[in-house]
Amino acid sequence: MIGTGLANEIRAIPGGENLEMCYSCGTCTSKCMIQQKLEPEYNPRRLLRMVMMEMREESYANPTTWLCSSCDLCYPACPQKIHISGVITAVKKVAVQNGLKTPLHTAVVDQQTCVACGLCAEVCPYEAITIEIRKLPYRGSIPVAVVNAGLCMVCGACGAACRSNSISLPEEHSDYELIENIWSWLNPEGALN
Amino acid sequence: MDNKPKIAFFQCQWCLYAPEDQEWVDSRLPENIHLIKVPCTGRIDPLFVLNAVQGGADGVVISGCLPEKCHFKEGNLAARRQLDSFSSFLDYIGYDQERVHFVWLDLQDRGRIQRELADFESQISRLGPAESLATRVPLKEGGAND
Amino acid sequence: MVDAARQPLIEVKTYTEVEKVEGFVGNFKVTLREKAKYVRADRCNGCGDCAKVCPIEVPNYFEMNLAPRKAAYIPMSQSVPLIYNIDMDACIHCYKCVEACGPLEAIDFSMQDKIVEEEIGAIVVATGFSHFDPSPMEEYGYNRYPNVITAMEMERLNNSAGPTAGSLIRPSDGKKPQRLAFINCVGSRDKRFVESCSNFCCMYSIKNAVLAKQMNPSADISIYYIDIRTPSKGYEEFYDRARSMGIHFIQGRPAMITEDPESRNLFIHTEDIALGKVVEHEYDLVILNQAAIPQPDQNHMSSVLNVAQSPGGWYMEYHPKLRPMDSPTDGIFFAGACQGPKDIPASVAQGSAAAARASRILHSKSWQIEPTIANVWSDRCVSAQGKVCGICERSCPYGAIDYTQGKAAEVITAKCHGCGACVAECPHDAITQLHYTDAQILAQIRTLLANKPEEKILALRCHWCSYGGADLAGTSHFEYTANERGIKVMCSARMDADFIYEAYRLGAGAVLFSGCHPQDCHYITGQVIGAKRAKRLETIFERLNMTPGRFRVEWISAAEGDKYARVLNETQAALDAIPPADLHAEIERLRPDMAKRLTRLPNIPGVQRAMDHTEVMVNTILSREKAAP
Repeated sequence: MIGTGLANEIRAIPGGENLEMCYSCGTCTSKCMIQQKLEPEYNPRRLLRMVMMEMREESYANPTTWLCSSCDLCYPACPQKIHISGVITAVKKVAVQNGLKTPLHTAVVDQQTCVACGLCAEVCPYEAITIEIRKLPYRGSIPVAVVNAGLCMVCGACGAACRSNSISLPEEHSDYELIENIWSWLNPEGALN
Repeated sequence: MDNKPKIAFFQCQWCLYAPEDQEWVDSRLPENIHLIKVPCTGRIDPLFVLNAVQGGADGVVISGCLPEKCHFKEGNLAARRQLDSFSSFLDYIGYDQERVHFVWLDLQDRGRIQRELADFESQISRLGPAESLATRVPLKEGGAND
Repeated sequence: MVDAARQPLIEVKTYTEVEKVEGFVGNFKVTLREKAKYVRADRCNGCGDCAKVCPIEVPNYFEMNLAPRKAAYIPMSQSVPLIYNIDMDACIHCYKCVEACGPLEAIDFSMQDKIVEEEIGAIVVATGFSHFDPSPMEEYGYNRYPNVITAMEMERLNNSAGPTAGSLIRPSDGKKPQRLAFINCVGSRDKRFVESCSNFCCMYSIKNAVLAKQMNPSADISIYYIDIRTPSKGYEEFYDRARSMGIHFIQGRPAMITEDPESRNLFIHTEDIALGKVVEHEYDLVILNQAAIPQPDQNHMSSVLNVAQSPGGWYMEYHPKLRPMDSPTDGIFFAGACQGPKDIPASVAQGSAAAARASRILHSKSWQIEPTIANVWSDRCVSAQGKVCGICERSCPYGAIDYTQGKAAEVITAKCHGCGACVAECPHDAITQLHYTDAQILAQIRTLLANKPEEKILALRCHWCSYGGADLAGTSHFEYTANERGIKVMCSARMDADFIYEAYRLGAGAVLFSGCHPQDCHYITGQVIGAKRAKRLETIFERLNMTPGRFRVEWISAAEGDKYARVLNETQAALDAIPPADLHAEIERLRPDMAKRLTRLPNIPGVQRAMDHTEVMVNTILSREKAAP
């Protein structure tokens, strides 16, 4: 029956309460940058609709579930005052509980060089990085930074903050790529080295 | 290109709402302005700015979303903290603070980036070319400088 | 309007404010302030020579400030009566107008506001509505982008008598726009601003679009909407016609408008719901169809007229379906949008109905009111004994109680609507309500709780809402506990604390205190008085350590039969959860306290007799119960 399974699960999670208030005006989708810049299939309005219509698998597979960065540009614009990113985060939470993984290439910590200074955990807007004790080869049981892949949205703030170059980001915006970009422009002949 | 100042333009990939502006930045930027697109201003390691400065850039522009409208919630605040203190370091090594310029763009600022870049370029032209600060340790693949 | 002015039995008073309304149906005393026009109505012939010579120009409110007017002016060209007016805020006292007026000598700078008192039989309120100012909606850039205008501004620009003589131009450069967009629901259906639908904007946006298209058939015109609502006769056909003329309807609420800083053209960003895609279209002119909101002084007027306001601020009608043109106060009627957003046919219908209602009063020698009015026992009123009180006057939602220190309070019968608030509030039990006397209600309570009171739930229900809810639960066959025993009073304001104490003294298992939702109260603020009392009772019972759930307060509308059933079932469950021995002990523990609170009860006229009589009834019930197998 429509609105009893997934919709109830989402409503029960803080942030997902106002799900059925949506009257499909499309303000959120047109306010959002992700559809325009990253993924044409991205559509919060449609994800809310899918949840209401009990399309469980489709909701999990929808890019909206995974790409929303909770910037909340849509929240103050929504005429029904629905906390849309709250609903999307709730869907993501349920999806992760059901064993799904984010398609994003999240930040990775090199635990051999990490000094557990905590700068990355401090700047992370998603509280995706924590300092935990890990048993490591050659280093023994020591505290290191650990990235929670379910929370990381790949903004790169941790990479900019890290003083020991222990965080690597997806190739297109790795330190190497970006410096290469700058250097090849200023020194067309020499490039790196 | 010779007498025009070289400007490194770090752009947060979310800060331009109007597709036309983004298209202009992506493909119609003047030759002396070089685009370095980052996922968020928070991604800008002070090292990148230092690289641009050492490489001979006469000015650095950093454009991002308005403080409360960051795509990654508060990445631009982290950038602001980090780069503000870094620009005083640049000042210390002899790179005028006026050569580093932040642009915080609102969603409705259609056509503003063109104006901002033009204004900045004329400001840099007035200041003249930056002093050479180039002393640089070569970089190896897979990691940044020490 | 011209017709009305010519009708000898109608007196049109313009530029006049209602300051005070006293009295009651058929006998209102209305105080009016006739503001000084500085032009004598008996001499002005409306030639307009004063305006021609006046050197002062100020924005013309009627033209949405798109055009100027002089300090000597008429509000609009069809003004009735056609008498000029001098705006003293703008006038520089050059007296050129006096010169121009010449021998007519109509201009008189010594005029003063006049206070007039009139005897009025019935009042029809037709104050209309106002428009939401879209400037707080940053996303649409009204006031920031010159080419974003409101529908009212469009209306003036499109009007042949308007500032541009009917040629639609865009404000930034005066050019004729080729690409127009209308955005519906600006501020309305929006929880951040105006929650309700403004009723007529769909139709007038279509009308404006059709007019613009007729003027310029090559124009590209789009209407952005969430839903198009065309429920009345001929409306859907008009919508069809607009589509067949080539006007584009785009479903989707625009998230933002951006402006090209050079050309001042506008870009609307929206999701086209039909395509499921975000689109960006360029326009020369964007028109915002803003929400209808109550007049800015509606709050003030509602206290002058003593009529309630619905959520949203509109005047509240007596009954939303059956008496939409009547106010809760007899003799005051509503016509048009002051009662809620309405289009022209609906306003005309309501206006005609209100006029008919008013004329019924004017043609009657007497007026029938509800029989459930309140009465004061003047010998019991402490004011007559020299004490300061006045609680009844303060509790009356209608101002129907005349209280003078030193004299017994008096109920103005024609103003009383029979909510019973004063009866329950009077600390000296000096007021009674016909047909709902304390004696009658106490007798009902004693009879209903005659047998096994600890199993019973006594439900006090107000006539208009929760009683209707209980009724609906019955007719809808919603099952709820058979231990409920209901008593109807007119309003939750009548639910005297004594009734509840008496119920617990008799050993009732639980008591339900139910009435209307605050905004639905039939007696303006009766529910507020009831709710305050319920809150007080809750605190008392909490302090007495009564098990929570034995006293329940719920606001249930006549449409909430399911809620009524649910609340009773929950109360039953709470009652079931208390072990019988504990419940019994608690009832016995509280009984003396309750009895102490009721010592004054037998002194109320009629109560002792009712008690003696119910004693007989209770005994009869019990003996019959025992005789049954």
